[in-house]
Amino acid sequence: MGHYMRMRGDRLTPLLIAVPLLALLAFFVQPMLTVLWRSVTDAHGSLTWSNYARLLDDPGLPRSALRSVVIGVATTVAAVGTGLCLAMALHRSRLRGKRVLRAALLLPMLAPSLVLGLGLVCLLGRNGLVHRLTGWPTDIYGFWGLLIVNTLYGLPQVVIIVSAALERTPARHYDAAASMGAGPWRQFLDITLPRVRFALLAAAFLVFTETLTDFGSAVVVGGSYRVLAMEIYGEVVGQLDFAMGATLGVVLLAPALLSVCLGRMAHRRQDAGDARPGLAMVPERHVIRDTALGFVSLFATTAIVAVVGSVAYVSVVKLWPYDRAFTLANYAHGMPDGYGPVTTSLAMSLLAATAGVILAFALAAGLRRVHPRLARPLQVVASLPAAVPGMVLGLGYALTFNKAPLSGWLYGSLAIVAACSLYHYHAQAFLTMQTGMRRVPSTLEDTVRVSGGDSRHVLRDAVLPIAAPAAVATFFYLFMRSLVTLSGVIFLVTPDLGLASVSVMRLDENGFLAQAAAYAMCVVLAGALALGAMRLILHAIKDRRHVA
Amino acid sequence: MHLRIDDIAKAWNGHTVLSGVSFQAGASDFVCLLGPSGCGKTTLLRILAGLTAPDAGRVRLGDLDITALPPRDRHIGLVFQSYSLFPDMTVAANVGYPMRLRKHSAPAIASRVTDLLERIGMGALASRYPDELSGGQQQRVALARALAGDPRMLLLDEPLSALDPALRMQLRGEIRTLQRSLGIPTLMVTHDQDEALAMADTIVCMNAGRVEQVGTPRALYERPLTRFVAGFIGQANLLSTARVRDMLPAFLDRRPPGAEQGFELCVRPEDIAVTADPAGDGVVEDILFQGARALANVTWRGQRLRAELPGRSSLGAGEAVTVDASRGTWVTT
Repeated sequence: MGHYMRMRGDRLTPLLIAVPLLALLAFFVQPMLTVLWRSVTDAHGSLTWSNYARLLDDPGLPRSALRSVVIGVATTVAAVGTGLCLAMALHRSRLRGKRVLRAALLLPMLAPSLVLGLGLVCLLGRNGLVHRLTGWPTDIYGFWGLLIVNTLYGLPQVVIIVSAALERTPARHYDAAASMGAGPWRQFLDITLPRVRFALLAAAFLVFTETLTDFGSAVVVGGSYRVLAMEIYGEVVGQLDFAMGATLGVVLLAPALLSVCLGRMAHRRQDAGDARPGLAMVPERHVIRDTALGFVSLFATTAIVAVVGSVAYVSVVKLWPYDRAFTLANYAHGMPDGYGPVTTSLAMSLLAATAGVILAFALAAGLRRVHPRLARPLQVVASLPAAVPGMVLGLGYALTFNKAPLSGWLYGSLAIVAACSLYHYHAQAFLTMQTGMRRVPSTLEDTVRVSGGDSRHVLRDAVLPIAAPAAVATFFYLFMRSLVTLSGVIFLVTPDLGLASVSVMRLDENGFLAQAAAYAMCVVLAGALALGAMRLILHAIKDRRHVA
Repeated sequence: MHLRIDDIAKAWNGHTVLSGVSFQAGASDFVCLLGPSGCGKTTLLRILAGLTAPDAGRVRLGDLDITALPPRDRHIGLVFQSYSLFPDMTVAANVGYPMRLRKHSAPAIASRVTDLLERIGMGALASRYPDELSGGQQQRVALARALAGDPRMLLLDEPLSALDPALRMQLRGEIRTLQRSLGIPTLMVTHDQDEALAMADTIVCMNAGRVEQVGTPRALYERPLTRFVAGFIGQANLLSTARVRDMLPAFLDRRPPGAEQGFELCVRPEDIAVTADPAGDGVVEDILFQGARALANVTWRGQRLRAELPGRSSLGAGEAVTVDASRGTWVTT
């Protein structure tokens, strides 16, 4: 029997659903439909397939599409393989210094692919640190640069997903296998691998989607290896051909949508694990395994730290790469627009996170109270943004809101950029909120009703306290993502409305690496502070409010 | 206040959960809804609380028809198996919660909370949080909270099932004492027959969404009306009419008239007399020693019977015995 329960005279639930739903329709569905519509109409607004025919005329476009897929597959293999090793190192090895690896894995979450790309250029570019120090002719632009950046960017997410699956596999499975004479390798093949295979699959589709749709790395280290995201950017910004941009966007949307659907299916097939997991597995000493995993961990940690470290280093030298004297000038007055873009980014992120957490809370709370027949389609719409490349959504915003009603007020405003960023990351935010809300026992809601409360009291006394940690996590997730987002907002920034991430890209394009690095470090630092604040708040909630 | 339930029916997605459920409870009756999981007893409790609307039937409390009343207007105390305390409120705040919702004055709440916490022996723990309490303590707090709003009826949904056996025994007594002093009808859902037998004034035995039998614990145990009640409450040897004719013909006199398959004889293990006798035609298969008593499986004239012996009985497996039954009740199949 369903635990949803529509109470008589409940006016709150329709409101909880209607407000987030209207916002979803206006700021997600509408721009997406605009992109679709634009791809099948000509300049006069009549239906045509000619945009798609034009795709095939240009030999460069199919080649870019193929490259996108190639880089997507290569990155997926590299990130999932390495990620599995790192997760094993964290949960199935006796290695010391796991904290170092965990800390290193935080860096790619704070530094977007754009910053990682910048770091790689600083390290291995034509004028990179390695070239300066050794004289070797390094040139990382192209396939290998993209592969490295996207792999580093995807790694933490793979490790998180696989680790969760490993944590769901308790010691007694291994004890049982050992009692039947299975050695460590057999145990890995017969217990670990089967239990993490769907996690691996889900992680693979996630990395593939992200790499396919990533713009930050493509613009910084792609070089002449042009992928689809770059073609869209070129059509829209270079040639002002919005119809072609929209058409390419739809082409990019199709595989992303497929990949996300397959990933969801894999995720759902995952072993839910045991209701009572029992004791965690404590691995025994195994020299070969620990040496191999240690080697991979060391390699990955070094790569991440070197790449992000390069950005930090370059941001404090006088004139990269010619004068490497230490200076803080890049932070003090070297930034061409001062701290304006950083402040704007912070304000935009704050707005996106605040609005996002309220809307996600309302929608998740509302969906608990309606019939599954209504809840299910809403659930799909709320999760759909995961499949939409930021660039396509951003293009939709540019097409929709520059001539919509209120456009004079909306277009070029902080609000519209925040909305784009919020709906780009809506799926994960909503999912986090919903998962948190599932922890609210339905009997606690019943208790409030029987004690004399109505729907407002249920929200205030039963739902909100227990979902508070999830709300905090959702807020900071949206804040940190909005801070570093580039692909979604690239078409929305105006000369008056600069964002830190866009500044990094523009300065890098013009060769001002040190200044770009300074902006990048501001973003990374702000993200790190936000992460620290989130942990403190979650700890305080657990400590003072007795909710974890 | 008198509780009267008439002809309640409920279906979820076309699947019948309750049908034709009717019974009554006196002003200070302790009623146990007893049945296997999935028999609809929790759904019935939720209907009484107003958390689920019945498809048909009426619920009356005193002179009032409360069938359509929302839960907040029913003034009911409800306790769940899972405690369901507010994790971010202290013990005192949890207990005072229903009064705060109903806008009682702060001093009135404080004195009522103190009084209730004293009664359940938790006065010293008023400022603790639920995660600092044991399961038994949490359930006591939940009970105090359910009583704080001066309920007109108390509903308990498997309140003891999550506790360990010793604590369960202790709380049985505490709940019963508390309930007697309140004088409000109390319904407890349970699947534990021992609990129902020990606590209830009246047991409503349910199966597959229907009421099988309503009565005192002794009545249900000694005179079960149906095969289900005989098997669910206590242990029963159920013998077909043909078997009885063959083995215990004396019981045929009292058999109600009806089809051959329509009735079975229920004989409780303690009503089967087993005596060691080398010439007997029964054989002891095995004996389960349980301390004060022992349960023996005996094969007699092709029928396996369960008989209760004193724990110190000297009978052993494989021994020949004579068998007889002193009491039995006919039940419908």
